[in-house]
Amino acid sequence: MAEQETKGHAIKAAVRIQEEDFSLDEEVTALRASSKRMGGIATFTGCARDFSAGRSVSRISFDAYGSMAEAEMKKLRSEAIAKYALLDARIVHRIGVVNAGEQIVFIAAGAEHREPALQACHWLIDELKQRVPIWKKEFTPQGEAWVTQHP
Amino acid sequence: MIKVLFFGPVAERVGTNKVLVDHHEGMSLEDLRRQMQILYPAAFEIVCFIAVNGEQARDAKLPVADESEVVFMSKFSGG
Repeated sequence: MAEQETKGHAIKAAVRIQEEDFSLDEEVTALRASSKRMGGIATFTGCARDFSAGRSVSRISFDAYGSMAEAEMKKLRSEAIAKYALLDARIVHRIGVVNAGEQIVFIAAGAEHREPALQACHWLIDELKQRVPIWKKEFTPQGEAWVTQHP
Repeated sequence: MIKVLFFGPVAERVGTNKVLVDHHEGMSLEDLRRQMQILYPAAFEIVCFIAVNGEQARDAKLPVADESEVVFMSKFSGG
């Protein structure tokens, strides 16, 4: 994963798709490091539920069209920064197997004031669900099934 | 050759992630889709987006260039 050295600390890329878990603390610290003018930070963390559509779910697995998913997430970040005049934003999505209760996705939006940060965070997760080519499969006692909505 | 990729539920219904298709002069995305749909009808029941070289294609009538990467995708369920 691309990392850049800033003042001796390794700061991870602002947009990432990865198998491993992420640290909320590390992500928010990285966001805050980008500007001291940031007065409001809004974050969203999506987690794997152990129950869906009336069935218990032990784990979820994610498949992605990696190159397009990462490009779309980068576009979303740039669009959010322009649309809401953010100082910075970060988006991380896990792929592979995620157990019930674990973290899946993280969004952080930092702005001078709370309102654009909150709005951008909400906009980013909604747009991500619509535009980023990632698919989830749920593992239940009855078997495994891709979550598909018919067109 | 056109590289056709499948992911997630579509890949499961096709039975593979990748198929190579011969390109022919004047071939449109719609032609390619029709050709694939005949081979994998169950998969195409859930296909609703097409990407060409990493960008979502809006017009299936446009020609598809040789060496393109085409992905037939179902509705996304990430996040």
